[in-house]
Amino acid sequence: MAEPLLVLERLEKRYGGLVAVQSLDLAIAAGEFIAIMGPSGCGKTTTLRMIAGLERPSGGEIRLRGRRLNEIAPWQRDTPMVWQSLALFPFLSVVKNVEFGLKMRGIVAGERRRRAMKWLERLGIAHYRDRPVDKLSGGERQRVALARALVTEPEILLLDEPLAALDANLVVRMQAELKQLQQQLGITFCHVTHSQSEAFAMADRVVIMSEGRLQQAGPPREVYRAPANRFVAEFVGANNILDGTVAEATGERVRVDTGIGAFDVRAAPTRPLAKGAKVALVISADQVNVAAGPAAEGNVVTGTVIGEEFVGAFVTLHVDLGGGTVFRVQLQQHALDKLGSVQGKSLTVTWKPEHAVLLSNA
Amino acid sequence: MMSGRLVTLALRTYLALALLLVFAPIITSFIYSFDADKYAAFPWGGFSTRWYGEALADPDVAKGFHNTIIVAVTSALIATAIGFATAYTDYRYRFFGKNAYLALALLPPTIPAIILGLAMLVFLSRVGLSGALHSIIICHVVYSIPFAMALIRLRLGQMDRDLEAAAWNLGASEWHALREVVLPFTLPAILAALFLAMAVSFDEYAIAWFVSGFSETLPVRILMLLQREVSPKVNAIGSLVFIVSMTLVLVAQVMLVMRAPSQAAANGPRQGAGRG
Amino acid sequence: MVGTIPTTSATGGRRSRGPRGFALAFALPMPVWQTLFFVAALLFLIVMTFWSVRNFRVEPDFTMANWVKMLSAGYFQDTYFRTVWYAALAALVASLIAFPCAYGMAFKLSPSFQRIVASSLILPYFTSYLVRAYSWKILLTENGVINGVLGYVNLGPFAMTSNLFAVLVGYMTLILPIVILLQYFSLAHVDRRLIEAAHNLRCGALRTVIQVVIPSARTGLILAATFAFILSFGDFVSPSFLGNNKPPTLSILMVDAVKSGSQWPRAAVVAITMVATLLLVAFLAMAFAYGRKAESR
Repeated sequence: MAEPLLVLERLEKRYGGLVAVQSLDLAIAAGEFIAIMGPSGCGKTTTLRMIAGLERPSGGEIRLRGRRLNEIAPWQRDTPMVWQSLALFPFLSVVKNVEFGLKMRGIVAGERRRRAMKWLERLGIAHYRDRPVDKLSGGERQRVALARALVTEPEILLLDEPLAALDANLVVRMQAELKQLQQQLGITFCHVTHSQSEAFAMADRVVIMSEGRLQQAGPPREVYRAPANRFVAEFVGANNILDGTVAEATGERVRVDTGIGAFDVRAAPTRPLAKGAKVALVISADQVNVAAGPAAEGNVVTGTVIGEEFVGAFVTLHVDLGGGTVFRVQLQQHALDKLGSVQGKSLTVTWKPEHAVLLSNA
Repeated sequence: MMSGRLVTLALRTYLALALLLVFAPIITSFIYSFDADKYAAFPWGGFSTRWYGEALADPDVAKGFHNTIIVAVTSALIATAIGFATAYTDYRYRFFGKNAYLALALLPPTIPAIILGLAMLVFLSRVGLSGALHSIIICHVVYSIPFAMALIRLRLGQMDRDLEAAAWNLGASEWHALREVVLPFTLPAILAALFLAMAVSFDEYAIAWFVSGFSETLPVRILMLLQREVSPKVNAIGSLVFIVSMTLVLVAQVMLVMRAPSQAAANGPRQGAGRG
Repeated sequence: MVGTIPTTSATGGRRSRGPRGFALAFALPMPVWQTLFFVAALLFLIVMTFWSVRNFRVEPDFTMANWVKMLSAGYFQDTYFRTVWYAALAALVASLIAFPCAYGMAFKLSPSFQRIVASSLILPYFTSYLVRAYSWKILLTENGVINGVLGYVNLGPFAMTSNLFAVLVGYMTLILPIVILLQYFSLAHVDRRLIEAAHNLRCGALRTVIQVVIPSARTGLILAATFAFILSFGDFVSPSFLGNNKPPTLSILMVDAVKSGSQWPRAAVVAITMVATLLLVAFLAMAFAYGRKAESR
C-alpha cells in the first residue's frame, strides 16, 4: 500500500532545554480533514510550523508523498497556511494578495489574475477584488486568506487557528463552509485549534496533544467515547473520573473498587488485569442517569445535588457522591422537569457497565 | 486656587520666552538676510535682496552647494542602505554579541563631531582617502547610519512577524519576500531615513571641514566666511540652507505619518497572539 | 558571530548550520563600514598620539613626548580645567533654565500643545548651528541689535561678546532644546498619582516638586545634564566665534594644532584626553543616575 500523503515520524522540536514536540508519529491520508488539538503550549502550532518549514525539526522526519521535507526551505514546499493573524499583505489589494503565490511561481500576469478571480468568485468575494484588505470585515479577510492559500491548488492546506479571532456566530458558519470546501476540493486540511467544538465539528480525525506528546488520534466519536488516557478524558467532553483498584477481573467484566463503592465495567480482554492494579473509571456526563427513587440496573450510587448549570436545552447537575467525589450529570431540560426541584435532594445515580471506560494508567 | 492659575500662567509665559530664546537666532538670521546694511544694527537699514544675490553669485558658494548636494545624496543613499540592513538584522536575528553589534551602529553621534573629524582626517590621509568629496561621504555615512537604522527599525517593529513568513509560505524566497513584503512595508521609513540622513549631512561642518581638503561643502564655506569677514551673505545662505533642511525634514515627517496608522490595523486585533 | 540563530517566531528554513549568505548580506555591511572608518579611525587616533613630527611631516614613532609635553604644559592644564568648568557651568545653567520649561510642558500644557512644543524644539537641530551662532553675534555685539534697542532707553552699551556670557549663550543655542526635551520626557513619565498623593498629604506645590517630582525624574534629569556637558565640552563654534577664541577651550586647542601647525600627534593627545574625559563623565553620571536609585526609594 502506498504511503499516506503526509507522514511525521518521531518528530521532535527542542528549544534549548525546552521540548516543544516529542517523538511525534502521525500519518495523514490524502483528502483527510485532520484537527490537531490541545491546550496552548502543547506543541500543536509548532508541529504545523514544522510541516510548513517555518521551524526546523530537532529530530525525526517529515515526508510529503514519500519525499523528505526536513531540509526543504519553506518556499520550496507546497504547504500553504492560513494564519491565526491572517498575515494578509496590508499594502496589497484583495486580488493582489490572492495572486501572490502565483506570482512567486512565475505565472504570467493574465493567467494569475484569471486564477485568482476564480477563487475569489468561489469564495464569494469577487466584488472586493480591488479593495485594500484593511477595508474588509473579519469574515471577508478570512476568505481572502483562504483564497490566497488555495490559489496554488495544493494537496494539503494548513490552518493555524484561523477562526480564533471571529465572533461565535461567524465561527459556526465558517466551520460549515470550511468543511464543505474541503469535501468539494478533496484535499487534505490540517487544522490546528484549541477549541474542541471546532475540531469535532469539522474533522474526520482529531489528534490530541499535550506537553509535546501525542495523546490520542482517532475519529471524534471514538476520542469522545473512549478516551485513551486520563489527559484526554479530562480534556475532551465532560467526563467523571473515579480512581480505584481492580477487585475482580473475569473475561470482559472487571469490578473496580473505588472510594464510593465497587462498580462493574466492561473492558476489552486485550490485557488481563491483575487484581489490585490501579485503574480509573471514566464515565461521560451524558451517559449517567439519575432517578428520584431506587434503581436496579447497572452501577448505582446515591448522592446529593449541590448545583445546577444550564446551557441551552441541557442542564448539568453537580452531584456530591461523598468522599470528595462530585459527579457531573448531563440531562435534557425535560428530563430534569420530571424530577421537579432537585437542589439539595438525594438522587440515585446510575450508569451501565458498557458506558464506562477503564483506564489502566491511573 | 488663584495662586495655582497664576503659577500655570507664569510657567506658560516662561516657556514661551524660552522658545523665543531658542528661535531668536533663526528669526534674526532670516530678518537680517534682507537687511540692506552690511553691519547689522537696530533698526535695520532697509529691505534688500542684495545678499541673496551676492550669495548666489559667489562661485565658492555655488561650488559648495553643488558639493553638499553630492555628499548629502550619496551618503544618505549608502547610510540608508546600510541602516536598513542593520535594522533588518536586528529585527530578524538573534546572535551572540548583539548588544555590541548595535552599539557599534549607534555609537558615532555620541563622539563630538570635531574629534571624529580629526580621527577621520588622520586615518583617511594615512590610507590615502582624504581631501576629496568621497572622504566626506565616507564620514557622513558613519554619522548617518544610526539615524537611518533607528527610523527603519521602528517601522519594522510595527510589522506583523507572520507577514514575512507568510510570503515564504506562499513560495517567496527570502530575497523575494524582502522585495515583495518587507520593502513595501518599510518604504515610508526608508524614504524618511533618506531625507533625515540628507538633512544631517546637509548641516554637518566639523567633519567636513577636517577631511574635505579643497572640496568644500556649503557648511564649510559658511565656516570660512565666518572666520574671515562679517558678511550678511551668511544670513542669506543660512536662510536658504534652513529652507532646504526644513523641506527635507518635513518630507521625512510626512513619509512617516503617511499610511502608517491604517496599515497597523490591517490584520485585526489578534496579531502575534499566543501559539499552541 | 552573526546570523546563525533566528528569532523564534520568524524562523526561516535553516538550510545549513552555519551563517548563510542571505543573513550575512544584511548583517555584515554595518560592522564592516563602522570598523573600517569609525573604530579604526579612533584607534589610529590613539596610535597617532605616539608619533612624532619632523620637518612638518608626521612620522611613525613610539614616543611619549606628545603626552608629556601636552599634559605638563600650563596652558593645556588651564585650558583643560577651563573647558571642564565651562561645560559643567553650561550643563548647570541649561538644566536650571530648562526645568521650569519641561515642568510647564509636562504638567501645564494639553497633550496636543506638548507635541507641538516638543517638535518645535527638535527643529533647531536641522538648522545650521553656525548660522545660529553668527546670529547671536548680530544680536549681541557692541553695535548690535540688543544694544541698539537698549540705547533707545538710554542703557548700555553692554559688552556681550568675547566673554563667558557670549560663550554660554552659544552653548545654550546648542544644548537648551535637547535639555528641555530630555527633562520633559522624564517628567512626563512621573506617576501623577504620586503628585496627587503628595498634595493630599498637604505637601505644598514647591515642596512637592522638590521632594516628589525631582527625585522620581532624577535619572532623566541627570541624563539631560550629561548630554549638555558632552555637547558643550566638544563644541568648537561658541568659544571660537562668540568667545572670539579667548580664552581657548580644548576644541580650539585641537583645531589650532591641526589647522595652523600640522601638529596632528598633539591634536590627537587633546582629542584622546577629551574622549577619556567624556567617557569618565558619562560613566560617573550613569552611576549617579542609576546607582543610588534603590536608596532613594
